Amino acid sequence: MKWKLLGAVVGGALALYALHITTSTGWGPWVEDVKRTFGGGAREQMIVGFLPVTCHLTCPVVDWTTRHSDSGSLFQSKKYSEFPTMCEDLTEGKLGAAFLNAPLAISLVSKNVNVKLVSLGHRDGSAIVVPAKSEAKEFKDLVGKKILIPSKFSNQQLWMARLCKQNGLKLTDFETIVCPPPDMPAMLETGKCAAYVVGEPFCALAELAGTGRVLLQVKDSWPGFISCGLVVRQDRIDQDRELIQELVDGIHGSGLWLEQGLENRASAAEVVGKYYYNQDPKLLQFVLSKPVDRVRYDHLTPLKPDFEEIMGLAVEIGMFPKVLEFESFTDASFSLSASKLPKAMPPDDGKGPETAKAAK
Amino acid sequence: MASARIEVRGVAKSFRQRGGRSLEVLRDIDFTIEAGEFVCLLGPSGCGKSTLLSIIGGFEKADKGTITVDGAPLSGPDPRRVFVFQEYGIFPWMSVSENVGFGLGALGAEERSRRVAHWIGAVGLGGFENALPAELSGGMRQRVALARSLAVEPEALYMDEPLGALDSLTRQQMRTEISALCRRSKPTVLFVTHDIDEALLLADRIIVMSVRPAHIIEIVPVAITHPRRFGEADYVAIKRHLYRLLGLRDEV
Amino acid sequence: MNRLERVLLPLFVAALIIAVWSVWASGGSGGATDFPTPLEVWRGYGHLLRPAHGEHGPLILKHIVSSVFRTSFGFLAAVGLGIPFGLYLGWSARAHASLDWLVQMLRPISPIAWIPIAIMIFRGDDLRSIFLIFVAAFLPIVISTSAAVHSVPSMYLRAASNFGLSDFQILQRVVFPASLPQIVLALRVAAGISWIVIVAAEMVAVQDGLGWLITDARYQGARTDLVVGTMIVIGLLGWGIDSLLRRLERHPRVSWGYPRNG
Repeated sequence: MKWKLLGAVVGGALALYALHITTSTGWGPWVEDVKRTFGGGAREQMIVGFLPVTCHLTCPVVDWTTRHSDSGSLFQSKKYSEFPTMCEDLTEGKLGAAFLNAPLAISLVSKNVNVKLVSLGHRDGSAIVVPAKSEAKEFKDLVGKKILIPSKFSNQQLWMARLCKQNGLKLTDFETIVCPPPDMPAMLETGKCAAYVVGEPFCALAELAGTGRVLLQVKDSWPGFISCGLVVRQDRIDQDRELIQELVDGIHGSGLWLEQGLENRASAAEVVGKYYYNQDPKLLQFVLSKPVDRVRYDHLTPLKPDFEEIMGLAVEIGMFPKVLEFESFTDASFSLSASKLPKAMPPDDGKGPETAKAAK
Repeated sequence: MASARIEVRGVAKSFRQRGGRSLEVLRDIDFTIEAGEFVCLLGPSGCGKSTLLSIIGGFEKADKGTITVDGAPLSGPDPRRVFVFQEYGIFPWMSVSENVGFGLGALGAEERSRRVAHWIGAVGLGGFENALPAELSGGMRQRVALARSLAVEPEALYMDEPLGALDSLTRQQMRTEISALCRRSKPTVLFVTHDIDEALLLADRIIVMSVRPAHIIEIVPVAITHPRRFGEADYVAIKRHLYRLLGLRDEV
Repeated sequence: MNRLERVLLPLFVAALIIAVWSVWASGGSGGATDFPTPLEVWRGYGHLLRPAHGEHGPLILKHIVSSVFRTSFGFLAAVGLGIPFGLYLGWSARAHASLDWLVQMLRPISPIAWIPIAIMIFRGDDLRSIFLIFVAAFLPIVISTSAAVHSVPSMYLRAASNFGLSDFQILQRVVFPASLPQIVLALRVAAGISWIVIVAAEMVAVQDGLGWLITDARYQGARTDLVVGTMIVIGLLGWGIDSLLRRLERHPRVSWGYPRNG
């Protein structure tokens, strides 16, 4: 009698596991996983982490492109819901690379995590948003009020610091509060803050809902604003420079393709919104087109003067205790030698990334 | 069934109490029980009878003295010398059959089921083989306890006020059954009680014990043949004697 | 209370809740901040029950299966290791002296605090959550089992050793069955804890599951209707899991240990 019970429990557990494989990843990837554990798969591949924000758009774009091509390495994108878990996976080696914002990347390096920033992800793409009915006309009007920022290690805070300098103010003249970006539109609407500064699509969300309006786009204040970039583990760089170069080529190429025109951006919005971000493609469309230069995906090479300015601001406001040398956290060689040709992304085929992979 | 001969020599026991004082419970206990005898330990509650039985059963150690069973010194509990506890000593998750067969693990399946069936019948619980203790009355549960101990056909039975939790009507019935069963199988029986009538109805000899620190006041033989009756002259005479030994008045 | 009442009373309360909820939630000005109305949640199920792009089967099914799968495996591991360990801890005075302090110190640590460690040790998403569930359920099971062992009446132990059973036999044939009612009660509690923990764990460390669904709904633009819809599903599943375990309590080998009604 006892053995029957044990058998039933074990059988039930195995059936549950099988059901889980069937519904989540499918048997194809599971078999590949097993194969990979016991001896390499066919194509080179690397997993790159991202968050479902517009800044990281090139990541899923590259994933889609490499899945739909017959040759070349496969750069699989992996979606995270927050930076801390992604940073830990990157530190542990579960990820080969990830899209992080620049101060976060610098802070990892300062903690002796051996990673390097090899490319930027985009330029601009942030804004200060105030309630639709607010009377504020410029940054100065927000003095003394509550402003939400995404994190202590955010570029948005650096932008604010720069704005302060330009207007003769101090960061302490404002009440900055850290808030997760998805919650920001709600906080604005309930009047819990006077404004928020964050990257897209959280500014567009408030605009489209009619509850907020953009006070200031970063492209009009600090053009070429750097926010997120691609960070790669040093051991992967040492192991296979060509693979990293291929990845950076893909990022730059996709970025150039996105800059070529609105139809490309529309196509990307469709694919990324449906299959990767699980966001309404119309939202992404809005961010990528109104205005068309709200976010830019060219000039993705990290340059020393830009970062010197960033580091200077960071140290001034106490984000970092001292300046870190550009070369200590950046390896710009890949970006400098990246291909200058746009790389087209295949259009939506209605099938989704997993099925595309299984077909290979 | 073989029976054990138990010799108790010079047993003494004290317990350490809170505060470091020592409480003397048993003093200079000395007696012999012959094989097949039914002996009662009679005395007021709390005088140490249970402790003595525990020591004889091998669950506790005496501070002084020796206990010998069939010539060999006592080393610990033994399945040949089995306790019968009060009725809540049977296992509530096992059926009557499973309880009665509990000590028979070493036997083959056939012999085991034969014995279980035999002893369930002997205690009058035929038909209740698959019942759970929760479904039985107190008296029936006591019978299960008895059957469980008798099923292993022990050389000695140690009973510590087994009928204490039962009402007086059931108790009387159980006394008759225990007496009959023991006279049939003839194990050596050591039966602890504070009930004078109970001792008189069951025992071949009664060891009368004092209050704490317990020592033996007297060992009284009961030479009345079974069936024994309450009101008869020889019964009453010994009863008066017991009252006197215990320092009690037999009138209210 | 007759059967009709038994069915109608809960339905009445449910209807009352939906009515109050509708009135309360409709009083807003519209927009992302207002609590969704029951109708909006109902419509949200249209999204949850349809397949995701490029996949088959209802969207929510794969997340339900993931969460249930991880909880089950973690819980089974906790039971399989926790009961024997608890029996040992309760039985052996030496084991108790050496290890009880450690058990009591680890117990108050919320399983959520173990998330960074889980991420560090385990590479697979599933393994991480299974580990967290194991952590959540293991110690409560150990503690209850060990307590149950301590409360086994010594009369049973005496009887068992009197009949010549070895220590191991006593554990197996007396201590374990005598502790079973208390252990099963503890299993119900541990399962409840596990289900709560899996949702929290999935908000952080993994890429699918019911907890992840809730987090993802925020990135879609504060889809609180999906959030509430998922919460209802989580509640229903938890209720189902608990009912399943309640049936265990009715087994005769277990029910003897509970006081009888009526």
